[in-house]
Amino acid sequence: MRYEEFALVGRDLFASGLISSHGGNLSVRMGDRVLITRRGAMLAHLTDEDIIETGLHKNDSGVALASSEIIVHRAIYRQTNALAVVHAHPLCAVTLSLYQDTLVPVDSEGSYLLHQVPVVAAAMTIGSEEVASLVAPVLASYRVVVVRGHGSFAVGQFLEEAWQWTSALEASCQILYRVKLLGQPIKEYRQQSENYHTW
Amino acid sequence: MYGWHRKILVVDLTSGTFQEEALPGEVAHTWLGGRGLGTYWLYHHLEQGIDPLGADNHLVFAAGPLAGTRAPASGRVSASTKSPLTGTVFDSNAGGAFGVRLKSCGYEALVVTGRSASPVYLKVSPGTVSLEPAEALWGQDTRAAHRHLAGAGGPGSSVVCIGPAGENLVRFASVAVDGRRSLGRGGLGAVMGAKGLKGIVARGNMPTAIADPEGAGFVCYEMEKVLKANPVTSQALPEFGTAVLVNLLNQAGAWPAGNFRQSSFSGAEAISGEALAGSLMEKRFACYRCPIGCGRLTRTSRDRGEGPEYESIWALGANLGVEDLQVIAEANYLCNRLGLDTISTGGTLACAAELGLEADFGRPGVLLDLIEKIAFRRGVGDELAEGSRRLAEKYGRPELAMQVKGLELPAYDPRGLKGQGLAYATSNRGGCHLRANMLGPEILGTPKRVNRFAWAGKAGLVIVMQHTSAVLDSLVMCKFTSFALGDEHYARLLTRVTGEEYRPQDLQVIGERVWNLERLFNLREGFARADDTLPPRLTSTPVSDGPGRGQIVELEPMLGEYYRFREWDEHGRPTPAKLARLGLTEVGSGGDAV
Repeated sequence: MRYEEFALVGRDLFASGLISSHGGNLSVRMGDRVLITRRGAMLAHLTDEDIIETGLHKNDSGVALASSEIIVHRAIYRQTNALAVVHAHPLCAVTLSLYQDTLVPVDSEGSYLLHQVPVVAAAMTIGSEEVASLVAPVLASYRVVVVRGHGSFAVGQFLEEAWQWTSALEASCQILYRVKLLGQPIKEYRQQSENYHTW
Repeated sequence: MYGWHRKILVVDLTSGTFQEEALPGEVAHTWLGGRGLGTYWLYHHLEQGIDPLGADNHLVFAAGPLAGTRAPASGRVSASTKSPLTGTVFDSNAGGAFGVRLKSCGYEALVVTGRSASPVYLKVSPGTVSLEPAEALWGQDTRAAHRHLAGAGGPGSSVVCIGPAGENLVRFASVAVDGRRSLGRGGLGAVMGAKGLKGIVARGNMPTAIADPEGAGFVCYEMEKVLKANPVTSQALPEFGTAVLVNLLNQAGAWPAGNFRQSSFSGAEAISGEALAGSLMEKRFACYRCPIGCGRLTRTSRDRGEGPEYESIWALGANLGVEDLQVIAEANYLCNRLGLDTISTGGTLACAAELGLEADFGRPGVLLDLIEKIAFRRGVGDELAEGSRRLAEKYGRPELAMQVKGLELPAYDPRGLKGQGLAYATSNRGGCHLRANMLGPEILGTPKRVNRFAWAGKAGLVIVMQHTSAVLDSLVMCKFTSFALGDEHYARLLTRVTGEEYRPQDLQVIGERVWNLERLFNLREGFARADDTLPPRLTSTPVSDGPGRGQIVELEPMLGEYYRFREWDEHGRPTPAKLARLGLTEVGSGGDAV
């Protein structure tokens, strides 16, 4: 395996239920090249052949095999200093994105790591210029963003880091979802939590 | 004018005159302060090829936009010049409170030019600047000079000063800050000495205006929370100081010894952070508004003082075969008193030992005697005072100087941290660990752990670290905060303090811009790809045993990847497209631009 981290993160994404059997995609930046998972690859079972190399600024034959979200990944790399991107379809985060413009965690880990997660909305949600133009600028300021009704894009210097933000996002949203179901105001335990929406 | 006072004080020592220059808002926004502002100033004011020890050189002391706020570890000072050791643009950065005191006088930066006919010191307060005679101080060590200048400045003042090494133009002379910290590297002390400037005293009371005090308070609260939660910043550094790294690096087989002939040191345990804490340690101390508090005050049977820090323990210990912590501590005190960079002192002595000039540093008195000879340029000390590169070249063995661009390497063997090797080779100020903190991912696992022996893919990571380092040095915040904090913390605080929007990504671009302007400065001075290199020992002699057995630094493939990632050509020159994206086109073509 050339890039073991792809296999590790892909397996964990599926095992955690954050993607369906053929959903999600991963990439890393190597200078002016991008390594990205193959279109339709099963992230839980990645092999060497599932890692596709293509250009960051220019297309080449590799793009024929690359994930359909390559356009979003490229935009993120062009507009941020990210070296890795994880795209997933976390169930609770996607559910809440249908109701809210921003996701503000109430749990300790989410508060600590994320503070708040913006939600962006596009009509064409998959592999579109529209998503690319919305997501990339937000990731210049935040670690992770949710595309309404679709999924999350997280950035890091390593795949593991972007995976961590994705995992923390869904954990926070699971708790937010339950809090909403219970319908009672929470007993606040944090200081300055009223400022989280300004993060 | 939130965040910045927008004024620079320029002092011409030749004429003994002062003038205030406006700091344009766009320059402040683009270059922030500290290293960024210093690099910008030097690029535009220094002629190519000037003598670093001549009157034409400038020395820029600069604070950052967060100085004077609640920001943690933000009282530091950055000083930039053309280095007499490396010939490159060179900034050094030190703790203490000089940065915030200078800023509270109403100045973002103090630029010293010219050369005084007789020794002087500079006294700065809001609306009052004076040059005072310093003949009586000339020859005094930094302790005595600090006492005198702090007394002259009064309570609440901050002092930078040089010792005999700076006066005697030792090429790696340091500048003492507030009696406890140092602008250690690159010979800034010699630049002050050449100008006849013994010291500077700053004392002021002008507050830093904050655009959104409540928002800034919230971000500071979050920053302090994260610093307290991270074990590196809340436990390891406070409890053991920087010397906590001794055992970690030695066990990793990445702690060089004997001028990098070995990659671990059998006497490490006896000179470790744990040993220091259990023997010489008196108490901790912290710099201005620092919640970490990594400083150590220590005592031996004959002396007391600050440190020794991790790098000094290595340079004056493992690198010279000394395993007596008392000897190391006293050598460290002496370097600090005389105003010498401990890393370059140790690196030069290790080179001298391999050249056969000196040896047996562990014998009582030998090491201290040699340090004195260097500071006063007595006997063999006159040759050593030139640094390891010039010394080794003089004896026809340039490969024995463990340096990059003339700056002696610090305490990490890059054969065990490949990314650190690339960081050394590409550093704009020469062999330095502070330009890109690869210790984090390659040893400490911050923010995530990577394979330290792998070289593929390291270029991108080194570049991000170089940009982060340039930003922190331009904000003039302590790099240790970045073990816990990220760009988003710094960007959000900067936005709330200045009222000008900075996204985390914007900070990375600022770091990249600073890095490229430094590169342009060095290219103008004649540096080229051939200077982005390492001593041949590190690229061709495998580690003989331990965890890194058989390892060398695969520099060439990493360097190719690095240039491509940076969008530099094969000669290491930024491409026109890159300069255009960074807004440096006119600068790169010799013109003027923000």
